[in-house]
Order: sequence, then C-alpha cells, then structure tokens
Amino acid sequence: MNKTVTINISGIIFHIEEDAFEKLSKYLSTIKGYFSKTDGGSEIMSDIEARIAEMLQGKTSAVKQVVLMADVDSVMETMGKPEEFAGDSASENQNEKHEEETQYTGTEPIKKRLFRDGDHKAVGGVCSGIAAYFDVDMIWIRLAMVLLTFAAGMSIWVYIILWIVIPEAKTTAEKLAMKGEKIDINNISRSVKEEAEQLKKRAQKFGNDVRNNSGQFQNDSANFFDKLGNFIKEFVIIISKFFVRVIGLILLIFGVIFMLGLMSSVFGFSMVGANTDVNDWINIFFMERSHYTLGLIGVILFFGIPFIMMIYGGVKLLFKIHYTNRWLNIGAGLVWFVGLIIVLFVSIKTGKDFNESARVKEPIMIQSQSDTLYLSLTKSKDLMNSLHLNEEDYEDYNDEGNKVKIHKRHSDYIIGNTDKGKFIVGYASLNILPSTSDKFELYIVKKARGEDKRAAVARAKSINYKVTQSDSLISFDELFMVPSEEKFRVQDIQVILRVPKNKVIYLDKSLEHFIYDIENVGNTFDGDMVGRRWIMTEDGLSCIDCQGLDLEDSDKKIDAVIPPPPAPQAPLNVNTKDANVKIDKDGIKIQSKEGNVNITNSGIHIDTKGEKGEKGEK
Amino acid sequence: MSVNSENTKAQMRKGVLELCILSILSQGDAYPTEIIDKLKETKLVVVEGTLYPLLTRLKNTGLLAYRWEESTSGPPRKYYKLTEIGEQYLKEVQLSWFDLVDVVNKTIRKV
Repeated sequence: MNKTVTINISGIIFHIEEDAFEKLSKYLSTIKGYFSKTDGGSEIMSDIEARIAEMLQGKTSAVKQVVLMADVDSVMETMGKPEEFAGDSASENQNEKHEEETQYTGTEPIKKRLFRDGDHKAVGGVCSGIAAYFDVDMIWIRLAMVLLTFAAGMSIWVYIILWIVIPEAKTTAEKLAMKGEKIDINNISRSVKEEAEQLKKRAQKFGNDVRNNSGQFQNDSANFFDKLGNFIKEFVIIISKFFVRVIGLILLIFGVIFMLGLMSSVFGFSMVGANTDVNDWINIFFMERSHYTLGLIGVILFFGIPFIMMIYGGVKLLFKIHYTNRWLNIGAGLVWFVGLIIVLFVSIKTGKDFNESARVKEPIMIQSQSDTLYLSLTKSKDLMNSLHLNEEDYEDYNDEGNKVKIHKRHSDYIIGNTDKGKFIVGYASLNILPSTSDKFELYIVKKARGEDKRAAVARAKSINYKVTQSDSLISFDELFMVPSEEKFRVQDIQVILRVPKNKVIYLDKSLEHFIYDIENVGNTFDGDMVGRRWIMTEDGLSCIDCQGLDLEDSDKKIDAVIPPPPAPQAPLNVNTKDANVKIDKDGIKIQSKEGNVNITNSGIHIDTKGEKGEKGEK
Repeated sequence: MSVNSENTKAQMRKGVLELCILSILSQGDAYPTEIIDKLKETKLVVVEGTLYPLLTRLKNTGLLAYRWEESTSGPPRKYYKLTEIGEQYLKEVQLSWFDLVDVVNKTIRKV
C-alpha cells in the first residue's frame, strides 16, 4: 500500500504516489530554475507542464488511476534532463544566475477543498468534512455543533445550509482534495506570499521588458501589448481572487450575525410569549391570535431567506465551491415571496384597524365658584397594586448611584389584570390653557384609532377616566383604563383645563409628572411648576410665588458676563431630590436632571438635556 | 571519445532543429505533440524538452504565432503557425541550408 497525493498539472488532477510526486516535483522545479531568468520562461514552463499532463493522462485510465514512479521516470526520459534541453536558453542569459531555482515547486501542492465526508458521516457528513478541511478531530466540530444548538438553534440552520452548499466528496480525486494539504496560518501566509512574490517578479520583468523594448522596432509593439495584457490579466486575477474571498467572508459573518439575531428574537418572542406581558400584548394588538403566528412566520421567511442566501453565497465564495443549484435559488425566491405576501397580509389586516383616528372631547362642569382652583392627582393605589406597580417601579439609579425617581412617560401603557380579564392602562396628562370665557372650563379629550371613524369614536368614548371634585379641589386620576378585551388602538387621555384671566390655580406637588409641557410666562419647566400658585395673565400663566426660582429665567441674560458672587467661607452644598447645588471657590454649579448650569470666572454655561431643556433655550 | 561524438551529434541536431520545426509548420498548423511526433520519426529530437524553449523563442521573435484550442482529452492545446515573417525567414534559411549541405557534402567527400 502506498500513500498517494493529488496534484494539479495544467488544470488536470492526478493522483500520484508520494515518492513519484517528490521526484516529479523536484524535476519540475529544476526545469523552472533553468528557465526562471529566460525570456518567456513561465510560458515555456506551462507548455512543458501541459505536455507532462498529456503524457500522464495517457498513462492513467479508469482502471489505473494512480501515477506511479515508473510513469514519472518514463515522462522524464521522454522530456529529457533539464540540462540537456535548457542549456541553450540559459546560456543566452549567462550573466544571470539561478539562485532561486530550488524555491519553486512547479506543481501546486494539492489544493485543499471543502467537501462533505460521506464515509464518516453522522448526519450529512458536514462536520467530518469541516474537520478534514481544518485538520482537526471531527469530535470537536460535532461538539461545537451540538453546543451551538442551544444558542437559539443556530447550528441547525447552519448545518442545513452547509449541507446544501457543500458538495459531497464522491470521486477519489475529491476525497483526496478533501484531505489535501493542511490548512493553517503558515500555509495561508505562505501562499499569499508566493502569489505576491510572483506578482512582483512579473511586474519587475515587465518593467525590464518595457525598458528593453522601448528602443526596438515596431514589430515588438504587439509583443509589448501582449505582455502588458498578460500582466494586467494576472494582476486582476490575483486581486480579484483575494477580494472574492474577503467578500465571501464578510457575507458569511454578517449572514450568521443577522441569522442569529433573527433566530434569537423569534425564539425570544415565542418563549416569553408563553406567559408574560408579551403574550398579552400580542392578544391586545392583533385582531386575532393567528395573525401573530402568521406574521411571525412571514417575518422569519422574509428576513431569514436573504440571510440564509448570504451565508450560502459566503460559503460558496470562501471555499471556492462552483456548483449552483438552480432549484434551490428558485425555491428560495419563492419562499421569500410567500414570506413577503404573509407580512403584507398581516400588516394590512392589522393596520386597517388603525386606519382612522378619533378625538372625543367631553366637557366637565366645574362646580366651584372660587377664584382659585387646587389641582392634585389621585394616585390609584389599589389599581397600582393590582398592576404590581409599587414605588420600586418608579425608582432607578442615576450615574452617580443616587436613587432617582423615574416616571413613566405619558405614552407608556401597562396591561392590567383583574377578575374581569385583561385590559390596557395608560397614563393621562394635563394641559392648562387660557380660557376664552370668564369661567374655568375642564375637558377630557379621549383619543383612539379604529377601522373607520365611527369605530374610532366608539373606542375613544369607551375609555374610562375619572376627575373628582370637592369644592375647589379637583383631583385627576393618574391612569385611564380601556375596557377589558378591547384591542390596543393608541388610546390616550388628555385633560385640558382652561383658566380665565386673573383666576388662580395651585398645582399640587403630586402633579409633577402629570402636567405636560404647560406654556407659561417664564418658560418654567413642568417639574418646577408644581407646588406653586399660578395666575392667568394677558401673556399666559404667570407664577405668583416663584421668588426663589429665577433660575429658568436666567437664559435671557446669557450674553452678559456676570462675575461670580463672593464665595462663602465654607463650600456650600445643597442636595434636593431634583437638583444639586454646589457653591465653592470655582463658582456655582447646579445640576438637575433638566440640565446643568455652571457659573464660573469665564461666564455662565447652561447645558440642557432632553426636550424640556430645548424649550428653555428659546 | 564516444561521449564526444554524441555531444557533437546533439549539437548538430540542435542547429537544424529550428529549421525543421519551421518546415513542419509550413505544411500546416500543429501543436507541440504533433511536431514532436514528426521530429521523432526523423530521430532529430532525442528529448522533448528541447522543443519548448525553441518554440517560445521563435514565437517571441515573431516567426511563429499560436492560438489555443480546447482538447477533448487533456489540457487545451497551443496550435502554432508560421507568420508571414516566419515564412520569409524559412525561405531564406532553406536556401542557405541547401547551399550549406552542398558545400559541406563536397568538403566531406574531398576530405
């Protein structure tokens, strides 16, 4: 039994006994050495290789597949010793020596290719094929595959794709190519170096040729352009080979990342969908449960197919697999199209119910005759408890590690759960505007969307929201409730209080997160408006007891440079729940969640955060 | 001495090889293996390797041109043909060869 290797001569694959290969390889490199400095040396070389391939082909057959030592001997005898036939050419360039002749191997060592190993397969031979390609024990690849199954079923997809992409090694040639030369960093860098070296040599030679030829006569010009053409061709081939691989790698990596993302989100959705909020949202958002399932399938197909095709193409480019399965491409296209149709169908079905919006304005009689209204918030304790919303839900930690109060934005919705069933709970908001009459006017504006105007109006009207009055105290519910089993259709509640001129309102501290962007004379932020009295003037709401609060007005004086006030003996540090004021030798530093104000020797720096802050810049 | 005689014979063959190749190609296009087969009949070529550098040199000097042709069994073949310059050149060399043979024969016989 002899070990054989696979070689490629002039594009033809031969299995050759190892010792015969050594001999042939040495023979070719000697010839190469002789011709390396000859004009047209590489051409002579490829002619000779083509002839050798032809001769070897004559010596092998379906029965006798392997090239033996005797065959190589016979070929060498026919072709002759290099010194016998190359002497002339070499002597033409006597001044040049063959110092590099031993470097080159005329035959390419067996190019390793990725195949599926049908002989050692557990499922499709993908793992064993990969193991052979990277020359590691197949158990590791299989282990990795099994472990990756737990990463959102990742490896199952990858396996199926690889199974489709990678051809199985069927012939002896393919089986040998599958095991071919070991692929490691050294090998890769060596082959890259070799290619670069060859390219450099050709470029140099080309340059020399140009210099030599430039003085010569015209019939050389054809020759010159031939060479230029060849050189450019080779250059482009080498560069494009490289780029094709890079593109393949990029496609593969991104395909896998996208696929992972898709799989994990789909898995995530179907997992958490079993018992938590997401499940409720699904029921409350879609017309029917089946639409969600259908939509999920549509999304998987619509996004998954392109990702799979990216991986497929990437693997093909990276491992130089030239084999296209037309049916696979057509099938993928069809499946993708089906995904598109499903996504469109579900979007239209669901979107239709959001078609029209309605805004229902319900006036509420104000019983108080007083000139001052006290406004406050009813915290619906019981409801909050039933929603499992306790104080902790409102608290979070800021950058400095201090506990801060986080309030839910007005657009946030919660799903409530009572004996009657599940229902949507949302945060209402309050706006205060000037009144055109001389009376306080209170409205509840209910909003919702629906398939048509009538449905939207009915849906808006059905929202439960309560404002309670006792004398001049008006209490607003913090939350509104949508009747149970009603779908989520962007329901919203906004309370509008219209204040006549010269009447006063008091905003209770509890309203801090309830009032929303109320226009006022001093452009005071919502957070600073609470706990104060406000009077409606010609220009709008004006603060009555805001003496200590000219901070927000200071942006009008931004241009003036105010010298810092003399610092007190000891640094002053005031911390409230909303702001942090520090006075020391550097100046005054005020930090709040609305923005920062720094007063130092160099002037006043105001930097605001968030939408409310921008308002302050006006 | 026998080595020397072999060497001389080889040198002589090499000298006329170019002429023979051009002559063979003047009868029609051919690819290296065909040329070799014809040359082998005449025992002019002992080792095939000799042919390839020669063909390339002739091509590079513009006497020959080639085209690729696919082969059903094996690598694509390079079919060589004489260029116009090549034909001109062959005529001249053939004439001088006949002259040379005459002169050489006469000289040898006289010796």
